[in-house]
Amino acid sequence: MSDDLQQKITEAIRDPKNIGEMPNADAIGTVGNAACGEMLRMWIKYKEQGGKKVIDKATFQSFGCETAIAVASLATELIRGKTPEEALAMKPEELSGELGPLPPMKIHCAELVEGALRAALQGNAPSEGQAPSSPQSPTLLDKIAPPKQGGIKIQFLPPEKP
Amino acid sequence: MTIGPQSFMRDVLEAYPGAQRALFGRYHIGGCASCGFQPTETLQQVCERNNNLNVSEVLDHIRTSHEQDAKLLIAPKELARLREQNSAKLVDVRSREEYEAVHIDGSLLLSQPLMQEIMSKWPRSEALVIIDHQGKTGLDAAAYFLGHGFENVRCLRGGIDAWSQEIDPKLPRYRLGS
Repeated sequence: MSDDLQQKITEAIRDPKNIGEMPNADAIGTVGNAACGEMLRMWIKYKEQGGKKVIDKATFQSFGCETAIAVASLATELIRGKTPEEALAMKPEELSGELGPLPPMKIHCAELVEGALRAALQGNAPSEGQAPSSPQSPTLLDKIAPPKQGGIKIQFLPPEKP
Repeated sequence: MTIGPQSFMRDVLEAYPGAQRALFGRYHIGGCASCGFQPTETLQQVCERNNNLNVSEVLDHIRTSHEQDAKLLIAPKELARLREQNSAKLVDVRSREEYEAVHIDGSLLLSQPLMQEIMSKWPRSEALVIIDHQGKTGLDAAAYFLGHGFENVRCLRGGIDAWSQEIDPKLPRYRLGS
């Protein structure tokens, strides 16, 4: 990866935009890459503007990959004010915005963002704004909660002599 | 132990517990079996079969990430002071068996209901301290909560094992058997 691209990614993730769950979202899309254990989820809220339904705000969560975070941060800014059709027409290289062309090993980061966006825009509205209960791939959350039960043996160590 | 290009990955992970998270975050290495590495591989070998990554640059990234991780750690003595002031919430991310065997008074076992409560009700500015067994997995949890906007998340350095040794010897130390 070029130093220039790395610098842009570093700058983008220094102050990422639109991170976090969105209460009462109109649409949620989750996409996971089982091959690498990545997951990206996007929340979208619409509004009426000039008689059209446009994207009022989009937020996201991503675990693991800083390029995906950078692309998602830029993409959620770029799609604001667009109709779902206009947003769906955007290609991965457009979503990565000012990051510019991504090297081959990073292209799937932008595709991950595009996939989450498509899943949100083409999916059904969630009930009560809740995310799907089963992410498609392991995340940090899977590693930390809920704690696994069963098959764990605790072996106490003898007290150390003073 | 000095970590360098010829260090085995098991030693890299021992010296830098957050190395796998750092490697995956920037280089997509170590996320799962298909992009993972063997503990017996050297860092140099891992870099060579991943597009000939510059091993010095990778090492720098691991060290920088480790320094960032270090800022998230809280020493047992510092946590003891926070507890005296009752100014931190303690969240234990170990298994229920471990928690029931030994835990710090006032700590809460992370469960699905507790996770929901934390996410929906706990102030994002509140001090939150993650407790694990030996300080190696708690940083993942800390990263998760940080990613959700919690501004004051720390992870107990050395986990409850260090707490037993440095603060409360009445809490027995343990190891996990199979």
